Amino acid sequence: MHEYSLVQAMFDQIGDAVRANHALAVRRVHVRIGRLAGVEPDLFRTAYDVFRIKTFCSEAPLVIEDAAGDELLLERLELEVP
Amino acid sequence: MCDSCGCGDPHVVSFDVHERMLASNDRTAAHNREHFKDHGVVAVNLMGSPGAGKTAVLEATARALGREARLGVLAGDLATDNDATRIRAAGIVAESITTGSACHLDAEMVHRGLHRLSWRTLDYLFIENVGNLVCPAVYDLGQDVNVVALSVTEGEDKPLKYPTMFRKVDLVLLTKIDLLPQLPEISVDRIAENLRLVMARPTMLVVSARTGAGIDEWIAWLRGQGRPRLTACAGAAGAGAFV
Repeated sequence: MHEYSLVQAMFDQIGDAVRANHALAVRRVHVRIGRLAGVEPDLFRTAYDVFRIKTFCSEAPLVIEDAAGDELLLERLELEVP
Repeated sequence: MCDSCGCGDPHVVSFDVHERMLASNDRTAAHNREHFKDHGVVAVNLMGSPGAGKTAVLEATARALGREARLGVLAGDLATDNDATRIRAAGIVAESITTGSACHLDAEMVHRGLHRLSWRTLDYLFIENVGNLVCPAVYDLGQDVNVVALSVTEGEDKPLKYPTMFRKVDLVLLTKIDLLPQLPEISVDRIAENLRLVMARPTMLVVSARTGAGIDEWIAWLRGQGRPRLTACAGAAGAGAFV
């Protein structure tokens, strides 16, 4: 169940992006998970849904893009700014 | 202005991150690797299922190599100090990394573990990962080589069931081969065949920590990974049952 620790690491990255952009909230999160990454997309989504409660991502759907290799990337965020 | 989802909301901006989720772990792993390189330590990430024989392999390694090379172990363990205690009894320095409920080691845990172990004078540091064929494969620890222990009792199809792990390792140690007479349904050739389907450079050694069979070949392989001060030792070419 390393998906939970991966989501935790991703939230640190999202937090950095939110602060750097003075964002009010995250509207959408785009990630890319390769088939050889050793990560189960459904479990990743479940972990995300647990973590995002009462955070800047509480209203942000997660978009998971498939890939052929071992990619494990936070690709892009849609941020609500003042 | 949001130009990605088409909502037209002027208060939404698209921000490209394009960074590995494990970027922070990768940075710590690179830091660990730098430490190992600076001090001439070969770091081996030893993975495998619970009960695959990782600790027994390290005990056998201590018996075979402990007098001529300085060995040390960081042993990942969910709840106990048992593995490190066993390894210390075999005569080499060892510390536990107790992970609690975490199913793998990460680079930060290894870095903290290094603070408790006299590792700078070692020739080889073995990082015994948490027993698991899934999660440990995802985390770089700063190791030089990845080794997985696979016991003959686990069945022939493990490489096919856990391709991410077997794709990643430099060497498979097929352990407990002294049990093969009790396992007529298990074929070492079929295990090797399955490894060829997933590993880019399939390399397997068959060993028994109990009888010592194949341990010399394992030691020769380790010597082949040596840093400059160990290059006088024989290389691993041609040793054992490479597939």
